[in-house]
Amino acid sequence: MPVPLYGFLEGDTVGLLILADDGDTLEVLAQKLQVAASLRVAPRHRVRVVCNDKTMDPTMTVAQAGLQALDRFDVRSG
Amino acid sequence: MLSREEWLPLARKLDWTYSYVREDEVFPEVISGRPWLPHSEWKDWEESFKTSYREYVDNQYEKDMAVQAVHDAVGRIENVQKLALPWLNSLKVHAAALPLAEFTGVIGNLRGARFGRDSAWRTMATFGALDEYRHTQIPLLLFHPLLRLDSQFDWAHKFYHTNNWFAVAARHFFDELTLGQNAIEFHIATNVVLETGFTNLQFVGLASLARESSDHMFERMVTSIQTDEARHAQIGHPVLTTVMKHDPKYAQYLVDKWFWRNWRLFSILTGLSIDYLTAPDQRPYSFKEFMEEWIIDQFLRTLDEFGLEKPWYWDLLMDELDIYHHMIYASAYSYRATLWFNFVIPGPAERKWLRQKYLKYWDDMDAVWEQISERWRTVGPGAENELAVHGTAMPTFCDLCQLPLSAGTPRKNTARVLVHDGRKYIFCSEPCQWIFLHEPERYANHKDVVKRVLSGEAPGQLPNLLTEYFNLTPDTWGKDAHHGDYEWLRARKDSAA
Repeated sequence: MPVPLYGFLEGDTVGLLILADDGDTLEVLAQKLQVAASLRVAPRHRVRVVCNDKTMDPTMTVAQAGLQALDRFDVRSG
Repeated sequence: MLSREEWLPLARKLDWTYSYVREDEVFPEVISGRPWLPHSEWKDWEESFKTSYREYVDNQYEKDMAVQAVHDAVGRIENVQKLALPWLNSLKVHAAALPLAEFTGVIGNLRGARFGRDSAWRTMATFGALDEYRHTQIPLLLFHPLLRLDSQFDWAHKFYHTNNWFAVAARHFFDELTLGQNAIEFHIATNVVLETGFTNLQFVGLASLARESSDHMFERMVTSIQTDEARHAQIGHPVLTTVMKHDPKYAQYLVDKWFWRNWRLFSILTGLSIDYLTAPDQRPYSFKEFMEEWIIDQFLRTLDEFGLEKPWYWDLLMDELDIYHHMIYASAYSYRATLWFNFVIPGPAERKWLRQKYLKYWDDMDAVWEQISERWRTVGPGAENELAVHGTAMPTFCDLCQLPLSAGTPRKNTARVLVHDGRKYIFCSEPCQWIFLHEPERYANHKDVVKRVLSGEAPGQLPNLLTEYFNLTPDTWGKDAHHGDYEWLRARKDSAA
């Protein structure tokens, strides 16, 4: 099921609307955001997804991470 | 026949005791504003200009003639064609944002002219309404004919009638500031905060920018408008004095709220014009220097004058001087087709200048411009490559100011999600959330552009959003003014080869 999320990539100047699937892993979610922001921020290999100030397990799915429509997630280096 | 000194005070202070109706029926709180006080508390309302209608018309006639003379001498299309490309686009921004915003000021002033609590206040607000009508007509007269030069000038009339994201944000601001506002809040927010705090000085700054850019028409126009503003801005001061006396907490809230709301729009209109859309050799100062020298000092003096405190978000605002408009410009450049004017990439010399002026966060902004430049280097210059150097994902917007979620820094965006009455909202910053939570009934039902897309009200595909919802066309949507063809970019490509 599609889940629209607010994505914020470290290094970027604006938040983007990312249409995730609730079965996407957080690794895929991070990739989607990096591709969407690649005009302004060069994609990085090592990134982590942060929700509510907590670094998440990248193998978790969007649904398992408890991300719901119009929640915020961050993708940061490291 | 009475002399001026005899009839004018009588005409200006023509209040009486009502016998058929109660005073609170003549001036209901919902439209006159709060605190609701009997006229005895307002009877000393005074301003220093004390103009008569005849004097007003004589003065305005002279000013209009002066604008007309400059227009005849240097306001023709061939004069405008000689202006530097970035400045021409700054003109397009102001041509769209200014005229109909001023027209909403007519409505706000007319509300004061009827529901202001003292006769002298109502008299002055009537002149204020006439002023704002003039401020609508002059820029329309000067800018819209430039349509013959460039179709993007069509937005002088069109902007506020579209659902373009920036128009949505500007309407959200002016609808609240002027169209749907009670007389007390209107005059404090508009006269004290917007005009005394920002535009009065902004127009001085813009006039100086225009002079540096050899745009004598624009210089004359803003100077002429500024002289009106300096007069009618006086309305708000005695209003604020009375509110301070009876409800200082509310007065502080109004000033805090409106300084923030003004800052958001002002930093975009003026920040982009000074730091990006004025040719580098014609910039007399940076936006931050302008703010510190003109706006901040004056605002602090105004606060002192009324016994008000600095807004609680003051440190945050000071920090934003270094970064907010840069975040917005880079974001807007990468979504330029969503706007009605063209952009330029700051080249190496400009970025060196920007680094000197904005050392604190410039490294992060420089990385963004490097990446955008790299994309142009990869795809090559040309109008046909515009959309290859453009954002594709939907940018996001604040549920209060309706502007992009571009607050904070590239390292830490300050957007925050709030659940209120079972509905999710997102705000670019703490002050925007704070304003929302003070008056949620006022803001809660407004949908930002993202929520309009998600609800099916606006198309989700970018091309359809641009043409069907933002009312842009391939001719009018924003582009890189050089289509990526910059000498410094070519030089780099050659050296890389």
